[in-house]
Amino acid sequence: MAAMLEIRGLGKRFPARAGREPPPWIIQDMTFSVGAGELLTIVGPSGAGKSTLLNIIAQIDTASEGEIVFDGVLTVSPGQKSLRPGLDRRIGYVTQDDNLLPWRTTIDNVLFPLEVQGGIDDAARARAAELIQAVGLVGFERYYPHELSGGMRKRAALIRTLVYDPPVILMDEPFAAVDAQTRTQLQEDLLRLWSLKRKTIVFVTHDITEAIALGDRALVLSRRPARIAGEHAIPIPRPRNIKDIFTLPGFAAIHQRIRADVQ
Amino acid sequence: MSSAEFAADLPEGRAVSRKIIIVGGRIALALALLLAWEWGARAFGPLFFAPPLETALRIVEMAGNGKLLTDIAATMRVSTIGFAIGCLAGVGLPFLLRLSPRATEAIEPFILASQGIPKYALTPWLILWFGIGDAPKAIVVTLFVFYIVFITVSAGMRNTDQRLINMARILGAPEHIIARKVIWVSLLPFFFTGLKVALPRAVSAAIVGEFLVATEGVGFSIERARQLSDTTGVFAGIVVAVALVLIINGIVNGLERRALKWRPVERDMQL
Amino acid sequence: MRLRVWFDRLVVLLILLAAWQAGSAVFGAYWLSSPWATISRFFVSLSDGELVRHGSYTITEALAGSVIGGVPAVLLPFVLRRQPIIVAILDPFMVGGYGAPKLAFAPLFILWFGIGIESKIALVAAVVFFIVYFSTLSGVRALDTKLVQMAQVVGASERQVGRHIVFPGAVPAIFAGFRIAVPYAIGGAVIAELISSNRGLGYLVQTGAMNFDTTQVFVAILAAALIVHAFIALVDLAERFLLRWRPRGAALIVDHGT
Repeated sequence: MAAMLEIRGLGKRFPARAGREPPPWIIQDMTFSVGAGELLTIVGPSGAGKSTLLNIIAQIDTASEGEIVFDGVLTVSPGQKSLRPGLDRRIGYVTQDDNLLPWRTTIDNVLFPLEVQGGIDDAARARAAELIQAVGLVGFERYYPHELSGGMRKRAALIRTLVYDPPVILMDEPFAAVDAQTRTQLQEDLLRLWSLKRKTIVFVTHDITEAIALGDRALVLSRRPARIAGEHAIPIPRPRNIKDIFTLPGFAAIHQRIRADVQ
Repeated sequence: MSSAEFAADLPEGRAVSRKIIIVGGRIALALALLLAWEWGARAFGPLFFAPPLETALRIVEMAGNGKLLTDIAATMRVSTIGFAIGCLAGVGLPFLLRLSPRATEAIEPFILASQGIPKYALTPWLILWFGIGDAPKAIVVTLFVFYIVFITVSAGMRNTDQRLINMARILGAPEHIIARKVIWVSLLPFFFTGLKVALPRAVSAAIVGEFLVATEGVGFSIERARQLSDTTGVFAGIVVAVALVLIINGIVNGLERRALKWRPVERDMQL
Repeated sequence: MRLRVWFDRLVVLLILLAAWQAGSAVFGAYWLSSPWATISRFFVSLSDGELVRHGSYTITEALAGSVIGGVPAVLLPFVLRRQPIIVAILDPFMVGGYGAPKLAFAPLFILWFGIGIESKIALVAAVVFFIVYFSTLSGVRALDTKLVQMAQVVGASERQVGRHIVFPGAVPAIFAGFRIAVPYAIGGAVIAELISSNRGLGYLVQTGAMNFDTTQVFVAILAAALIVHAFIALVDLAERFLLRWRPRGAALIVDHGT
């Protein structure tokens, strides 16, 4: 599998301030790669710097050390002057908060990226309609975000990224704030959409079960500073039945191994 | 500020009778104020108080001979010119300053400090420069509107959710589109708070400006009536001025509700 | 880092002063007094008592008006705390009074009280009353009901609740009201003086403009602006002293009504 994304020796600390102790490292010496079409999950305790890692990859935050290679091209390097958020729309980012624009209806939120990228045509509308259908938001197109349930908002945020088809998608605990049942459904939706169009996905979570259920491979992060504490291929064959993931052969063993790393 | 919040947790029957008491009380108070006005006219004499009826008749007369309309048109002309320029500058400048945080830090304190200048006091000097036409009043109105809009729009801009801006950047939105489709829309509630203060203020500033220099307008009529000891004219003019400002107040409130219908609840910035 | 900000501000200040000075040189002091002339006249006028005489008149109007308008505006919401029906009845009248252009009443007050200090005080009082009333009312309404219940549980009487719970809780809102009212009070006094008076900073502006003495106009305006800032600073100081228990927070002043 060709590497889509290579993270090499990445480190992050906040800028030093005069008269204070040098700030601690948030991320240190992190190296891993993500293959094209791979669904990589990253598990780590809360506050371990997972969001910071994704922010750096998405280029809304700077790295203090190290470099990132995207599809064979160096995109993040030390001393970089300006950021390119989303790397010209090649990196999508589904954040923990849905960040839907509260004054736009579902459909207008989903169409927003296409609108700002140069206009909406019939094909774009058709694609948005198709995605709305795929995640079961039909009938809610004209609702404002505050009128939707948490799960619906997550779906809208997800398809807002899928609609412009970035080759890489970063996901930062996107399903953390919903109830267990909705989460399972969202996970199934995600896997279904992913199986149709194999994107490269980096999915960050603090939930080991979620990391196993979704991932081809799981990285485990340590507490601050975040370092890679373990790497596990997930041997469970696809398609996976998320509802019964616990009962599948191999689940218990991998769960135990990952748990041992998460400390 | 509505009676509804008091009635909220009462049983329905009592809530209804409470509503009747409140509405009745309001009508009674309005009548009492009117009676006090009438009593004042009788007690202090026509030099100090114009009776309500006479005031109303004067307004009808002004409406009949077209004076009311020309006065209001003159006042609204000055307010509109000043409002448009002040509003444009008050919205434009924060967006301009956004391009350079360094310039913002250097310039903003001066803008805020200059707010302490009593703007009406500039009128006599502006008359030296621009004569007795619309310009001196329009400039004073512009200044009033500018500060209000500038401060509310700047506050709204600082209040914009940075996560939404980051999200729009990741989705590939250029900065001018972010300014228009994310920041502007997100600060609209603040802008309306500013407008709610600025629009009535523009009209009252024009009226006060007309006290100082004018050949027509609502304020001019009030002040000339005072100089002629035409008490009825003063009263009629003030009633017109108050009504004009309150009506504009009401219109802005209505517009705000329509423009911000996406918001889950009414939450106004506290003034 | 901070040093650079102050340096930038100094540069902006110098540019502003230079532009003002250049404007004065181009148009002549007859139309636009220079910053130097304004500042030196300011101190001359201050030392020969002229500015103090007029400034103190304006300050007296503003203070007297703020007391006459402000005290009932503070008391009313407390008196009516247990009378929500009366508050509701008053509401549309208060909202109307708040929205109404009080300065439009200036000619009427001059008609009633003459061109002396009384008409200016009346105008300032009318302006200050509504601002402080709504500010205090919002403070009384935002009251922490848990604290009231606690006080009632430990046996506080209604008066004690008002004195020890409601009043301290509303103090920040009262101060916010007065802070907003300061420029309105000074501005209202100056406007009334502009319309008709024989003393005060507004009178100085008016006579200065009549005699084409723009330096006098600017000196009077500068004095009024300084008074506004000084009074806001005084209100802030008093608030900080009275509210030592409160964590610091920045208050947003939307509107300087001068």
